[in-house]
Amino acid sequence: MFGYRLARRDKPLPGGQFLAFAIGLAVALVAGAILLVATGFNPIEIYIEMADSAFGGSQAISNTLTQAVPLGLAGLAVAVAGSMGLWNIGAEGQIIAGAIAGTWIARLGPDLPGPLLIVIMLVAAVVGGGLLALGPAIAKAHLGVNEIITTLMLNEIALRLVRYLVNGPWQDPTAIGFPVAPVLPEQAALPTLFSRANVGVIIAAIVLVIFGVFASRSKWGFELRVAGSSAQAAEYVGISLRAKIMTVLILSGAIAGLAGGIRLTSSDRIVEGIAEGWGFAGIIVAALALMRPSGVALVAIAFGALRVGGTAIQTQGVSDSISEIIQALVLMGALAAAVFTAYEITRSGSGTGVPTGAESISGSAEASAEATP
Amino acid sequence: MTQETIVGLLVSVLEFGTLLYLAALGETIAEKAGVLNLGVEGMMAVGAMASFWIGAETGNPWLALLFAVVVTAAFSLIHGLASVVIGADQVVSGLALTILGLGLAAFFGQSLALTTVLSTARFSALDLGPLSDIPWIGETLFSIDALSWLALSLGAVTWFVLTRTRMGLSLRAVGESAATADAAGTKVAATRLTAVAIGGGFAGAAGTYLSLVLSPGWSEGATGGLGWIAVALVIFGAWKPGRVLFGSLLFGGLIALGPRLQTFRCQDGEDIACLNFDADPTLVSMLPYILTVIVLIILSVRSRNRPSIAPAAIGLAYRREER
Amino acid sequence: MTAVELEGIWKRFPGVIANAGASLSVRSGTVHAVLGENGAGKTTLMNVLAGVYAADDGTVRLDGVEHQFANPAAAIAAGVGMVYQEFRLIPTFTVAENVALGAAPTIVAKGSIEKQVAELADRFGLATEPGRQIWQLSMGERQRVEILKALWRDANVLILDEPTAVLTPAEAQELGRITKTMSSEGRSIIFISHKLDEVKAFCDEATVLRGGKTVASSLSVTDLDAGRMAELMVGEATAVSQRRVRTTAVGNTALSVENAKVVDVHGRAVVDGVSLTVGAGEIVGIAGVAGNGQRPLADALAGLTALEAGTVTVDGTDLTTSSPRDRNAAGLAYVPEDRLGVGLAPRMDAVENAMMRNYTTLGNGFFIDRNAASNQAESLIERYQIKVGKLDAPLAGLSGGNLQRLLVGRELDGDPKVLIAAQPTRGLDVQGVAAIQKILVEQAAAGVGILLISEDLEELFALSDRLLVMHEGMISNDFDPDTATRQAVGAAMTGA
Repeated sequence: MFGYRLARRDKPLPGGQFLAFAIGLAVALVAGAILLVATGFNPIEIYIEMADSAFGGSQAISNTLTQAVPLGLAGLAVAVAGSMGLWNIGAEGQIIAGAIAGTWIARLGPDLPGPLLIVIMLVAAVVGGGLLALGPAIAKAHLGVNEIITTLMLNEIALRLVRYLVNGPWQDPTAIGFPVAPVLPEQAALPTLFSRANVGVIIAAIVLVIFGVFASRSKWGFELRVAGSSAQAAEYVGISLRAKIMTVLILSGAIAGLAGGIRLTSSDRIVEGIAEGWGFAGIIVAALALMRPSGVALVAIAFGALRVGGTAIQTQGVSDSISEIIQALVLMGALAAAVFTAYEITRSGSGTGVPTGAESISGSAEASAEATP
Repeated sequence: MTQETIVGLLVSVLEFGTLLYLAALGETIAEKAGVLNLGVEGMMAVGAMASFWIGAETGNPWLALLFAVVVTAAFSLIHGLASVVIGADQVVSGLALTILGLGLAAFFGQSLALTTVLSTARFSALDLGPLSDIPWIGETLFSIDALSWLALSLGAVTWFVLTRTRMGLSLRAVGESAATADAAGTKVAATRLTAVAIGGGFAGAAGTYLSLVLSPGWSEGATGGLGWIAVALVIFGAWKPGRVLFGSLLFGGLIALGPRLQTFRCQDGEDIACLNFDADPTLVSMLPYILTVIVLIILSVRSRNRPSIAPAAIGLAYRREER
Repeated sequence: MTAVELEGIWKRFPGVIANAGASLSVRSGTVHAVLGENGAGKTTLMNVLAGVYAADDGTVRLDGVEHQFANPAAAIAAGVGMVYQEFRLIPTFTVAENVALGAAPTIVAKGSIEKQVAELADRFGLATEPGRQIWQLSMGERQRVEILKALWRDANVLILDEPTAVLTPAEAQELGRITKTMSSEGRSIIFISHKLDEVKAFCDEATVLRGGKTVASSLSVTDLDAGRMAELMVGEATAVSQRRVRTTAVGNTALSVENAKVVDVHGRAVVDGVSLTVGAGEIVGIAGVAGNGQRPLADALAGLTALEAGTVTVDGTDLTTSSPRDRNAAGLAYVPEDRLGVGLAPRMDAVENAMMRNYTTLGNGFFIDRNAASNQAESLIERYQIKVGKLDAPLAGLSGGNLQRLLVGRELDGDPKVLIAAQPTRGLDVQGVAAIQKILVEQAAAGVGILLISEDLEELFALSDRLLVMHEGMISNDFDPDTATRQAVGAAMTGA
């Protein structure tokens, strides 16, 4: 009884989540530095090189933004579902589905004029991503099947579908046995914005802003949050949970599909690794952003920078996996840090818990004192 | 198709089955205690890298196994601390573990230049004397290596512990309702952490099997989604060690069959059995996931009028004084 | 010999002090009542004794030996067993598995455990089937399993937290007999209650808590009468709820329910052919033991679940197949039993909760007018004197009284014709109860038809114009509260 224990703070520390993210990032960078030292590198030099490659100059920034686009859209996809308390673990697969759908359009109409082709490809990508989420949505809404597992399984199914396509029906006959699809028509590439960044950055920014506004201001977003706070409360006010689950999961898949479409129109062809782990990273992005679109954008840029930095330091012989390690550690560090913004360590049994008289004993006691959890 | 190819297939089925069973059994234990661990893929990668490293250094497979099990169990406790002690969302923390594990395995794999070394450490088949000379069975079941036998016995032990011991009763209780188990005097956090660590150790053993038996060596991406199949298997097997074994052999069979489909096409002459239809190996490899989704739907529909077969507290953090 | 001694127990939660130096002393071999209002700190004190909560300060002594329980396991080892109000049983485990959980032999042989549990049950006259799974059992059977759990661990001190709340009167009598058997063996039983008749029938001594402090300890129950008990529990001799004086005549039929039938997931009829009417300005009470179909009836009337058969009409409009939203728009308001979680969303703030009924009309098109929303919340807060810290803080931290005022206020804001109030004062403190009852009376006077579902007979007798009794899904009786006796209504509740 005289040990230490965690007690929930009366009020969480102000700015707690931002603080937690900062602490998480610091913890991750320190841990990464230890790894680098252990393997014979100078972490300061490596980190400076990473930062320089991610933010030093317009080309660096364009690279970072380009990486942030799929991260932000995947993060938004997860966050849209997450704000209703649903887990879309399938962004990875939905990105692939989007890219497949886009490629399919490009194969159907290779001679369409550029802007039209791109728009149709992106629309197809949105539909493709949404379609991959349709099954989990129906299963969840109508049969109560856990969406975490169904979306997770569809990742692997989508991965094998694209593997099948680039090894079989869509294999480039000129690539002599290589598992790649033919290059896309030239006019299917998104126009450049600056340096290496293309219009995808604008599209992602617009989508994020729209959802940011919708989530916080619209009636639709309000209903989403009611359902996320309590499914029973949502039914009580007449919000149809089934319809919400369907729309939210399909929308989530569609946003991830858009990420796949943008990746496709930013590269020259579909490959097996088109999703590159963006879908999984999006889950971490959304979790760090507490499912808020505004936070998703910031975290996505930070993680985009990490990816660019990770690629850049490969030339020095450092594995680019250091960037994945840091991303995962940021989350773990932030999770740990979040505890201390919401909890405090108290010594129990020492009498310090005895109140000083600021709170009233009667009055509000019944709410938490005797209500069963 | 010849006897030789069929025996080759069966051996491969047993090998994939062993690997999947080790990982899925570990995940079953963690989930039975109420902790979903989506970090299997990452844990397996850590285990595979760690065991290959020690195997290459020492040439001793058992030492490699021991090292991988300990390292992976410790690694899995990152998820344990985050989800059980801190109370973070199990989905997020488990996925982060996968990303972290894949990253760490790749990082150390490259730093140690593991791709360029060869390991002499191998698990060889147990010498069962005359049993190995029995046609068919001798060349397959009685030619499996020590780790496969270990996996089988671990399955039996897991079943016994879960269903027939006080420890198993407590572990299942923690996975059904932490508050109830706590009130009955079970140490919830300790039980869950233990289950997570055991699950991690099993995943480490699966990783060892991967890098020392199934495809000796280490390369980035070696796990290739096998960890996700293990997660699926737990559901497919309805959280029961026996059914998970069946599922492991079934899914292992599908994986083993994929690349061999071509050789099983009907040809002239001496074939004793053959396929006379075209099946794409990649599409066949989708089947485990599709089957799992189907089983999940059946389980969900069946549990409408009665408590679900899934551990009820899965995914739920527990803090005693929280209300 | 003193079996249990708690002294100067302090326990504090964010914003709430549950125990402020509470004490308790229980003699061996007695059944000891712990009395107090909801919120008096009874359950918290018992959780400290059972090792669930670590006290901030104070001492716990069992048989004169001081203990500091780090966890429930330590308390169990010291001989304390607790039967929680919400049972701590695992639905998919068998009776025997639940009983043995945490105290089983290293190797569990199913048959032998079941046999041992059966023997233990026989010894104390607790009818049970050790091989069945909990989800298949009735509430009374589940409680017996809980008691068996404590006996299995050879608990010397058994805490029963409001044990009769879920029992039928016959089951409650049976429980009284069981506690007597156990105390005659030298065990001590702590019986938490706020029902005087039970305490007098089952207990030897009583301790009364108020506001987290002990205000009377170890009274002999023979000295206790209703007035004295109410005085101790409430702090001053308050009159029991005043009989409402109706000032207006009952108007046209506001709510009409005909032959309502609701079935549960197993296809069992939980509401079976209920017909009732509520006139404008009338309060119709529904009494009944918990679990006799009151909640499914209320949920079905509000449109949360579908009616299997029958019709619902509000002010002449047939709403039988309408959605919850359309019903609300047609003038049907609903204060559900679970105020936080159904009626209110715990993680949303006061503004958002206040607009939950009419957000579709705030602002035009897609967006919500946030100024209008906060104005609406502020006016509710002012009108119903709701204490909220910040407008944009999640509701979860508010007290029950404030939550209920917000919920009731919001439901009445749309000027409904009918209000269904399910357990509207349950768990509230005295002032909270008075405030909610006052609102109900005022609304009836203003012409709202109120269907009041309550387990509190005093409340029903005080407020109702007509008093219906619900038993096994059916309305069994229709009483006039001015002429009916408590006994007659109580008998009807048990199906007599």
